[in-house]
This record gives sequence, structure tokens and C-alpha cells, in this order.
Amino acid sequence: MKRPERGIAAAFGVTVLGAVMAAASYVAGADRLLLGLGFALGFAGLAAGFVLWAATLLPQGPYVEEREPMVSPPGEREALEAEYDRPAGRLPRRMLALALGTFGLAGVFPVRSLIVHGPSPSVALATTAWRDGVRLVDQDGRPVRAADVTPGTMVTAFPEGHLDTGDSAAVVLRVDPAKLRLPAGRERWTVDGVVAFSKLCTHAGCPVGQYVAPAQQLVCPCHQSVFDVLRGAEPMSGPAARSLPQLPLRLDGDGVLVAAGDFPEPVGAGYWRPM
Amino acid sequence: MRRALAILGCTLAVAGASGAAAAPPTPAPETRGRALYGQSCATCHGQNGEGSPRGPNLENSGAAAADFQLSTGRMPLPHPGAASERRQPAFGPRDIDALTAYIASLGHGPAIPVVSRGDLQEGREIFVSTCAACHSGSLAGGTLSSGQAAPPLLASTPTQIAEAIRLGPGAMPSFPRGVISDAQVNAIATYVTSLRPQLDHGGAPLGGFGPVPEGAVAWVFGLGLLALFIRLIGKRAP
Amino acid sequence: MIARMIARAGLRWMDRRLRAAALTREALAKVFPDHWSFMLGEIALYSFVTLVLTGVFLSLFFDPSTAETIYGGSYGPLRGSSVSAAYASAIELSFDIRGGLLFRQVHHWSALIFLAAIAIHACRIFFTGAFRTPREINWLVGVTLLLTSLANGFIGYSLLDDLLSGSGLRIGYSTFLSIPIVGTWVAYLVFGGEFPGDRVIPRFFSLHILLLPALIAGLIGAHMAILVRQKHSQFPGPGRNDHNVVGSKMWPTYAFRSLGLLSAVLAVSFGLGALVQVNPVWVWGPFSPSAGTTPAQPDWFLGWVEGLLRLFPAVEFRVLGYLVPSPFLPGVALPVLMVVALYAWPWLDRLVTGDRERHQVLDRVRDRPGRTAAGVWAVSLVVLLTFAASDDLVARGLSVPVQDYVVALRVVVLVVPVICGAVAYVLARALRGHPGSRLTTMEPRQIAGVLGLRRPEARRPPAPPGPRAERPAVPSEDAPDVVDSGSRHGG
Repeated sequence: MKRPERGIAAAFGVTVLGAVMAAASYVAGADRLLLGLGFALGFAGLAAGFVLWAATLLPQGPYVEEREPMVSPPGEREALEAEYDRPAGRLPRRMLALALGTFGLAGVFPVRSLIVHGPSPSVALATTAWRDGVRLVDQDGRPVRAADVTPGTMVTAFPEGHLDTGDSAAVVLRVDPAKLRLPAGRERWTVDGVVAFSKLCTHAGCPVGQYVAPAQQLVCPCHQSVFDVLRGAEPMSGPAARSLPQLPLRLDGDGVLVAAGDFPEPVGAGYWRPM
Repeated sequence: MRRALAILGCTLAVAGASGAAAAPPTPAPETRGRALYGQSCATCHGQNGEGSPRGPNLENSGAAAADFQLSTGRMPLPHPGAASERRQPAFGPRDIDALTAYIASLGHGPAIPVVSRGDLQEGREIFVSTCAACHSGSLAGGTLSSGQAAPPLLASTPTQIAEAIRLGPGAMPSFPRGVISDAQVNAIATYVTSLRPQLDHGGAPLGGFGPVPEGAVAWVFGLGLLALFIRLIGKRAP
Repeated sequence: MIARMIARAGLRWMDRRLRAAALTREALAKVFPDHWSFMLGEIALYSFVTLVLTGVFLSLFFDPSTAETIYGGSYGPLRGSSVSAAYASAIELSFDIRGGLLFRQVHHWSALIFLAAIAIHACRIFFTGAFRTPREINWLVGVTLLLTSLANGFIGYSLLDDLLSGSGLRIGYSTFLSIPIVGTWVAYLVFGGEFPGDRVIPRFFSLHILLLPALIAGLIGAHMAILVRQKHSQFPGPGRNDHNVVGSKMWPTYAFRSLGLLSAVLAVSFGLGALVQVNPVWVWGPFSPSAGTTPAQPDWFLGWVEGLLRLFPAVEFRVLGYLVPSPFLPGVALPVLMVVALYAWPWLDRLVTGDRERHQVLDRVRDRPGRTAAGVWAVSLVVLLTFAASDDLVARGLSVPVQDYVVALRVVVLVVPVICGAVAYVLARALRGHPGSRLTTMEPRQIAGVLGLRRPEARRPPAPPGPRAERPAVPSEDAPDVVDSGSRHGG
């Protein structure tokens, strides 16, 4: 009988050690490793102590407990049902149902307040801050000059004055104009091989931040959709099904890139909209 | 502060080393470089850097590219067709300087960028917005398309970081001064070197790979240990 | 001695007001089965306790606001930067508040363990048929607990406003958007407007620390109240039948064992929190809608949805001229289907087995090969989908193009679970009827018998009416003494 008691006492002794270690390391300013190990040691001592105690000093059973049937005797249930079925007039009951129903519906209206700001989704999602004549700026607000976009580089551009919007970021790249195969009607959307696409993946909206320059591919780091820059950012593989929307570009007098309009379709992940 | 000084010292040391490449320590490093080139590079890149079917023309690749490829051990390839990835450099610093000087003398390519201490906060901002999508916020590197990968930045020197930013080696885009200024390059290099010692803040960093190894640890060392514990304290036979 | 006197006086004081002695005595005599697998749910319970303890500490420092603030703490690369108050306070917790990082990490680790314990506990319930009548209510409560905890895990992970969780939040938003007709409104109701907006973090904070924990606590209360009312199920064994429970009594043995487990859960969580980094938000950086980091995975418990999103082909279609975008099928339809199947399992099981009896004694896994096969199929599917969420990491490790790896995974995810299910079926059939035989000690002829490679006389009679029928009732003199208030059995 002595040995288990000693073991249990030793385990709780470990907890005392852990407590001292935790307290001392807190005071000494060690904020994670030693403090955490002190706590862990303390709890481990408690765990060992309790378990040893249960295994050695306490009755082991097995004990047997009888189950009572989980069904009420029929009489009891009938009595309850009779209680519930107290007769009442039909009209008040129906009126109560109507009252609760309409009142419940009225309670749904304030849910609309959860949508705090801005126009309805179908309007807000369809447009971004890009307009004809809005200059492209980088994340520091400096205008992006066409000459800065050298072949093989990648610039993330924002509409001037709208650096913080979630849906406007565009990737600006320069490709060989002779190799560019854009869909019909977009011939004038580029400036000497400089193209711009929405940076938001058309699958789940992640920023398509990986540019594999030699292959002219944009890759999404979230689900590995690959877009072919030379073919108007058409999806090549991965779960994205639509091309990255292209931003029409032109040049202003100072050689700065300017949008020639908004993206032709909504950017980012798709949603229930006429197509 | 001590850490800042250490980084500064390290940056200066590397800058000094690359400065040495521009101002040769021995009378004719190009001569020595030419000899080394003939032994180790000419088979693929041609006798005078003119290129061959096995390797590209180096005439205008410049000192920065040569230094990057040699000092990261990417070149020379251990065998033709080997992946271009970071290895133990095949040459010592003096030989690399000599080879770099020789290749720089072949034509007009970019010189080795000189890196100095930059603004830490700006470096963090640019790294996260521009570099992390491929190299990971944790510097662990990342997966690209078609079996390519962005390498980890755990061993890159500030000079190599600057060279890669300017040159865009392999699948990487290049970033000229108009996109990322010299001051910003310094800032990025400063941030990357100062982040490394912070990577294990909080404990074993699990490679910087995020929730995947975290989940594995939770199952194996979290629930696994506890399952073992309840098996010890509970009965086994049903 | 003094402690005992105080306790006694306290009990007397309470009893004079509540008349609780008999009730408490009855409660303390509750019998718990001794099999280790009955403690899996307890691991979840105690992880929840750990979560609440550490979460209260964190909530006193975390600032759930997207208001721009200038971080001025000791993490150099962020000092002087303008970030959201939420992110700044998460960094302060990680660098500037003594013990803050430890508690943050313990909180995160115990959340990961919490969900792992729930998952494995649910598997135990499933494979032993513990969900059968009369325990369907607790199955429903349990599945709801799983989903609520899953939601709270995701929401908690998203609160810190870092780049990694922000990407996850954006994927969540996009998945809401993909629901036909109501998707945009659902997404807007949750986020207060277009992503990212400044409402989602304060809202998620209320959900994370108030609404969902209260719901989880209430459901745990209901789960355990029903458990106490119905009493534990138990594995078959000598002296065990549908009219009794055999095991240890609540007081003192089981209570001590359970306190030991609580301490062990805390020890493991604090040990991990001390030794292993989790979610280093300073490394990922603050969220920005135009930036991303890689590798980008959710916490493990949403890996199966992430795996579905990664593996599902780029399928978009039009209904009535409207777009149904690609995340809808893998991100909404299939998960909803899986959840519905999970909820409905007690009734599906009844359809399959035709078993409408009331059960207090569990099946062994081998007893119902059909259910075991279905469960192994589902579990291996979910495990493989979770594994598929790391496709970029694995492809990089193997130096294969991730595109090709995804194609291979699609086949694996469809084929391997079927194989696993079939193997489980054969093994269960082979073991059924050999109560003493185990997976490790099984003989080849048992499998051969199932596969029909042996003469028919070796086969078990097909589809016995119920597993109980194979086991003769235990003669009453073999049963342990039946006691109601706890004399120890045997000697």
C-alpha cells in the first residue's frame, strides 16, 4: 500500500515543480517556452497523480447499474396527452397561430440591416472603381508609366484614389504584341504589348499573385488555377472556369497608363447573374 | 539594436565582397576567370560565352547574373539537364569573383547590385504584397505551375536577393528600378534577413508550411498522445 | 482534516436548502463503462474547457476592429505600420504581452485537438452503432456540435485579420456568393456588404466568443444530460446486457480518472503551445485584398472542403440563363449533401439493416459489415480530401506538376475509398462470428471463407437477424452482482 501512495505523492510533487517553474519563468520574463513547459509539467503531474490514485487506491469494480426502461408507462403518457389536449375555442387558437406567424415574419425585416452599406449586391459586384481616364497607380499611389512595365516584370495597379478597394487590383504585364491572341474586339485595349487583367481569381477570388514570366502564365496560389496571359488570361488548368477580366488601357500625355473603362465583366468569384 | 548592427554588418560584408568583384583584388581576375570558365562553363556556354545548344549565350548576361548563378550554386549544373536549384557553390568566393569578372568583360550586362541597409517596415510591406505569393510569407518558397517552384529564401544573401529581384532568374519576374527602387530592394533584403531569426518565435516553425503540418502535429502529438493516454487508463477488451 | 470538515458543513448547508443528498448520491453512483474509447468524447469536452480558459484570457487583449491603427509594439518589421486594430492586437499578444503568445498558441492547438477529438469520437459512435435507438437525439446533437465547432474554428482563425486567414475568408465569401439565387444576399448579410468590408471582424468576434460558444456549451450540456438520462451504452461482454451498465462508478474512481484526463489534455495543449509554433501571423503579414501568400490552406478541419475545391473540375453552368459558378458544387452542394447524410445516418442505417430494435449494447465493428464498409468508405474519402488540400505542398515535394498531381488525386479520391470500403467489408465478414479473433490474429481461411474460395459449409449463414442473436444470453449466475448504490463486486 505504501508504494502507490509514494508514486502519487511524487506526481503531485512534479506539479509543485511545474508551478514553481511557471511562476519563476513568468517573473524572469520568459514568456513562452519555460512558462508553457512549467504549466505543461504541472498539468502532467496532476494527470499522473489522479490516474495513479484512481488505479491504485480507489475501488475498481466492476459495478453494475440497472437501467430503467426509457419509456413512460402508458397511463402516464395518456395523462400528459390529455393535459395538452385541453379543449379551447377554434377561433382563438387560429388567431394565435396567425398572430405568431405574422409577428415572426415582421421580425425578419430587421435582418436586412445586417447589410450595412452600399448599393444592392447585383450593382456593387458588377462594377469596380475603374472608369475611363482613371490613372493606374502602384500600391504607394505612384502613377504607373508604360515604360516602367518592362518585359518580364509584374506590376499590381490600382485606380488612382481607390487604393483600398477590395476588387480593383489589376496585374499589369508587358508581352510581345506579336504573340498576343486576345479575343476579338480587344485589339485597342493594350498599349504596345502592355496588358492589364483583374488580379482576382475567377474561381474563389484569391489574388492571382504568381507570375511565371517565361511561360506567360498567371497562377493562383490558393487553388492553383493557371491563366494564359497571351490568350487573354484564359484558364488553362485548375478549378477556375472563366478568364480574368481584362482592363482596357490607354496612354495619357505623360506616358502614364490610364484605364479606358471598367472591366467588361464582374471581377473575382462568380455569382448568380445573367450570362 | 544588436541584431540590427549584426544585419548591417552582414550586409556590408556582402556588399564589400561584391564590391571586390568590381575592384579586382588580384592583377588580372579576368585571366583567372577565363581559365576557370574554360574548365567548367565552356562545354555548354561556348568558348567565349557565345552559347550552344546546351546552354544560353552569356555575352550580355553581366556580372549580376553570373554572381547569382555561381554564388547560389545553381551553376555549374552537376550534370546536363539537372534542375536549376540552390546547391553548395562549386567555387569559392575568389573563383566566383574571377569568373564573374570574366563574364562581365564579355559584354554589357547589369553589374552586381550594391545592397545596404533599408527600411524594415517598407521591406515588410513590399515583401508581403509582391514576393509572398510565390516565396511565402514564411520564406519557405512555393509551388508554381508545371512542376516549377519558387525557392525558399532561407539562405539567400542580401546581394543574391537584390540580383534575383533585378534579373528574374528562372520562372521569376524581374523588377526594374521603375517598379522596385534601389531603396526598396535594400528594404526587402533587410526585411528578409531580419525575419529569419524571428521565424521560430513561438516554437518549432514546422518549415513555415502553415496549417498542413500544424494539423498533422495536432493529430499525432495532440490527439495521438491523448489517445495513448486514455488507452493506458481505460480497459482494452470490449 | 479541516478541509473535510468544511466540505461536510458545506454539504449540510446546501442540503438544508436543496435536499440534494439523495440526488447527489445517485449521481455519484452513475456507472461509466471502462473501455478506453468512451473517453474520446471527454477529450473533446476538456479541450473545450481549455479553449474557454485560454479564450477568456485572449479576449481581454484582442481588439476586434478593422480601424486603422499604428502598431507601436516590439515587433520591428511592423513598428510604425498602419494596420487594423485586430491585427495589431494579435501581434501585441504575440510579442508584447507576457504569456500572450503561449495562450494564443495553446488556444489554437486545443482548437485543433478539439475538432480532432470530436471527429474520432463520432467515428467511434458510428462504427459501434451507438447512434441507434434510443440514442438518435444525441447523434443529432453531436453532429450539430461538430458543425458548430467547425464554424467556430474557422471564424476564430479568421479573426486575426492576417493575410493567410484573409484568403480563407475570401474563399468563404466566394463560396457563399456561388449559391444560386440567394448567394449574393447571403454573402452580404454575413459580411455586411462587399468583401472585405469593416463589419465582418467585429461580427465574427461576437459569434466566436459569445453566440457559438454559448451554443456549444448548451449543446454539450444537452449531450451530457441525455447521456446521463439514457445511461451509457456498453460493449458486449460477460454480464453485460440491455438492462444494465457495467463499469466504474462516477465517484470516486471515474472522477479521478477523468480529472487525470482533464489534466492530460491541458498538459498536452500547453506542451504544444510551449514547443511548437502555430499560426505565426507576424510572418503572414496583415490582410490586403490584393496580396496573397503560399502555401494557403485552412486549418485541418476544413481541409476536406478545401480538397473538394481543389480537385473539382472547372465546372460552371447556366440555369435559366444565370451563372452557377464553379465553387458551388464542391463548396456548397457536396458538403451540404455530406452533412445531410451524416444527420440522417441513424435512419439510413435502419433502412439498410432493417434493425428497429432498442439497443443498449454496442455492435463490435465487425458485427455490421455493411455499416463498417460505408463508414470506412466515408472516412477514407474525407481523409483523402483533407490530404488533397495540401496538393501544392506534396506536388512540390515530389517535383511533379501540380496539375498532373490533381488529376491523379481525382482518381485516387474516387477509387481508393471504394477499395478501403470493400476491404473493410471483407475483413468485418471474416471476423464476424469469431469473437476471439482479432485483425492481427486472424487466419487466412477466414478471409477465404468470405470471398467464397472455400466450400460452402465454412461460410457463415448469410445475414443473421442481429448480432445479439449470435451471442447466447449470459446466464444470470455469471453476471456480476446487481447493486444499486454501490457495494463492490467480487473481491
